[in-house]
Amino acid sequence: MWRRLTATEGGQGLLMVSPPLIYALALLAVPLGAILLFSFWTQDFMAVDTTFTLNNYREIAEKPIYGALLQRSLFVAGCVTIVTVIVAFPVAYFVSFHVRPERKSLWLFLITIPFWTSYLIRVFLWKVILGYNGVINTGLINLGLIEEPLTFILYNVNAVIITLAHAFAPFAILPIFVALEKIDRSLLEASQDLGESKFMTFLRVTLPLSMPGVVAAVLIVFIPTIGDYVTPELMGGAGGKLIANMIQTQFLALNNAPLGAALAIVAMLSVSAISLVFVLLNRRWLKGRS
Amino acid sequence: MSLRVYAIAYLIFLYAPIALLPIFAFNDATIIAFPLSGGTTKWFGELMTNRALHTAVGNSLFIAVMTSILSTLLGVCAARAGAMYRFPMKAGIMGFIMLPLVLPEIIVAVSLLVVVVQILDLGLSNWTIIAAHVLICTPFSIAILNGAFQNLDPSMEEAAMDLGESRFSAFRLVTLPLVMPGIIASMLIAFTISLDEFIIAFFLSGSSPTMPVYIWGLLRFPQSLPVVMALGTILVALSILLLTIAEILRRRGMARVGVKDKGGFL
Amino acid sequence: MTPLITLKGVNKHYGDYHALRDIDLEIGEGEFFSLLGPSGCGKTTLLRTIAGFESVSNGLVTIGGKDMAGVPANLRPTNMVFQSYAIFPHLSVAENVAFGLRKRSDLDTKAKQTLVEDALDMVGLDGYGKRAAHALSGGQRQRVALARALILKPKVLLLDEPLSALDKKMREQMQVELMRLQRHVGITFILVTHDQEEALVMSDRIAVMFEGRIGQLADAETLYRRPRNRQVADFIGKMNFLDVVVRSSNDPVDLEISGLGRVTISPDQVPEPVTIGKAIVGIRPETLSLLFDGETTDLRLIDGVVDEVVYYGDMTYYDVRVQGVEKPLNIAMKNVIGRPVLDVGAATRVVWDERSLVLLN
Repeated sequence: MWRRLTATEGGQGLLMVSPPLIYALALLAVPLGAILLFSFWTQDFMAVDTTFTLNNYREIAEKPIYGALLQRSLFVAGCVTIVTVIVAFPVAYFVSFHVRPERKSLWLFLITIPFWTSYLIRVFLWKVILGYNGVINTGLINLGLIEEPLTFILYNVNAVIITLAHAFAPFAILPIFVALEKIDRSLLEASQDLGESKFMTFLRVTLPLSMPGVVAAVLIVFIPTIGDYVTPELMGGAGGKLIANMIQTQFLALNNAPLGAALAIVAMLSVSAISLVFVLLNRRWLKGRS
Repeated sequence: MSLRVYAIAYLIFLYAPIALLPIFAFNDATIIAFPLSGGTTKWFGELMTNRALHTAVGNSLFIAVMTSILSTLLGVCAARAGAMYRFPMKAGIMGFIMLPLVLPEIIVAVSLLVVVVQILDLGLSNWTIIAAHVLICTPFSIAILNGAFQNLDPSMEEAAMDLGESRFSAFRLVTLPLVMPGIIASMLIAFTISLDEFIIAFFLSGSSPTMPVYIWGLLRFPQSLPVVMALGTILVALSILLLTIAEILRRRGMARVGVKDKGGFL
Repeated sequence: MTPLITLKGVNKHYGDYHALRDIDLEIGEGEFFSLLGPSGCGKTTLLRTIAGFESVSNGLVTIGGKDMAGVPANLRPTNMVFQSYAIFPHLSVAENVAFGLRKRSDLDTKAKQTLVEDALDMVGLDGYGKRAAHALSGGQRQRVALARALILKPKVLLLDEPLSALDKKMREQMQVELMRLQRHVGITFILVTHDQEEALVMSDRIAVMFEGRIGQLADAETLYRRPRNRQVADFIGKMNFLDVVVRSSNDPVDLEISGLGRVTISPDQVPEPVTIGKAIVGIRPETLSLLFDGETTDLRLIDGVVDEVVYYGDMTYYDVRVQGVEKPLNIAMKNVIGRPVLDVGAATRVVWDERSLVLLN
């Protein structure tokens, strides 16, 4: 068996990939299965009742608070994604097309650095920027543009969106940059040679060819956003809480892990379903390219 | 030209929050707001005497070191398999291993919490956090190491074997030195991610919190915020230092194998 | 010839793909041997089988009389020059060349250094030892690869398309150098190439491979003048093919060539046995010529019309249409003083001789 496994290239490859694969199976697939199982159970204070029931899902469907939270979460994640990707595209385009090759990695490095620095503190600093006595309000008052500090920029959904868009910026830039880098520059010359203007060349050649990167950027921003509870907790105020805050509350404060598990499953399924629809809608861009 | 202005404005937007850190860390006022009231280094002094913080930093450092080693080991296996072998269901397997990259962190956190506490009935400790951090850091390690392994000529190891080396010593003498900068870069990145990770650590930490969990606790008390600013300044400086080393090593690795640099991490 | 390497009934499968089919081969000591064929014909697989990087599905490989089954590449008396050269980029030129000497405990540092210097000297890279490997040119990389392999004094040097990465001038220069080097070290060289000219120039013997099989195994002249079948004839050089009816396959062989008429040839011009009936004859373009005004010949003549002219400087290639011959005949003419280049449409006469024919199945 061992000899047969090591004799072929496929066997050697499988052997090589097995440690990370087994790790991911044990710590990802098994726990995901466990949480799915758990969502069909119930918990009363500390005792877990393992009879199969759909009560958790029924409760989620019937109590409007859950539906509202989920809706708001998806809305926020959608807004964050759109804002992040639209704002990020020109930057990726600039770095790929207008930066000299030897300077590109410096730009990417500068873009990624803030992403690696303390997430909690970064979120908190947005509070400092957007707050009542924050950078923006003090600045605007000193310039004489406003008399009273603005209050609509903190403790609501807007603040959550701004903060998350900032946090996920490099996640959006990198895949788009990679897709743009792959575009053969002679294609753009060919388009202009065939009579298209620079702008039309961008629309007819560059943009379609960069779509795989845009799709990847959308997914890589949209999906994790749903799982963040730090930003809504710190920036959202009472009206800015999201589904992840509820999951956290069910698990850690209310000791209702099965309901929390069911919420996590529902959240994950919604995100996956939307992502899947999005990918299917973009299939023509992704066909034949890896 | 206007694109350049836009890109620079974007960089300013990216750096705005962390640029504020040192300002408030050295500001002699308990309230984190403008106007500033004068310079001080007392907040840094407070960091030195805070026992609870030292324990939390100790926990985080231990977790981050273990995570960086383990996720890099797993990353080397996956990147090598991905770059040098064809095997059945390759795309599916590699995709599955990379999945934690896009999975919401809260899902990873609660599912592991359920398994550890409810099913295995084990206590939470630094090791539960390490287990989860290895899971989310491995995809980053793979992404970094992929660059190193894909630039490697597969006949390089064969050449070493042809010249008399065994499979293992061919790996040690040829492949390892060539991917070493990638390995160090991967360890530094995993270290940085783990050190900074809060969402999962909050769910999985036992009685003794990690540094981000401790900071989260501090954020509720306005009087401790300047200390957080001071701590944040040190952390940001440390992160930038580690990332710069990682980037330099990555570039040196590229230069060593004579490949043209085509971009940054990931 | 003392056989150094023997292959008996060697087969190699990758799943459903049959890469090597029933290979029987003997390669002699000190021979310059080439494996020639189009891409995907199995020549590289065969080389890697000898090197020990591929195991055989069934069949026997022996080197120096020893069965090589289960012997890994690092324990075989073969060394290889890889297509990409596989020069270790993190080591200097000297460290690359000395790579295989690591386990030679019988040599001290000084002796190893001398060996490395000698090896670099042999490939014309004396004084390059301290250079960084990744800063070398293509031709220099190849020399390093050669020195690195030859320093171990293998019984066989395997070369996988070693010249394909070089430009034309460099390639021609390296052909000569490789031949000189092989004579100098006196060991067996096995060269894999898709370039027929390269194989013809350098090799003692050539195995032409198609689809995992050896199509013909012979020296360069035999391959060129007496190809066994149309596939080999087509792959090596240019060849005109004409339909023919075999009247008698005895000595002399009696043929009726369409368009050219009835001739007899010697059995020597029939590499593989033929039966009475339809067959093909091949004629190389340079064995045909055009008869210009004022020239005479004792050989056979046939009228034709110039269909195409391709001027190469030293040569002119004509396509000449001849009544009764399906495709225009390709004719190579040396451009000598006083001989004009004909225009398309010009009437001309083709000189041919049945002694240059080869009869194929």
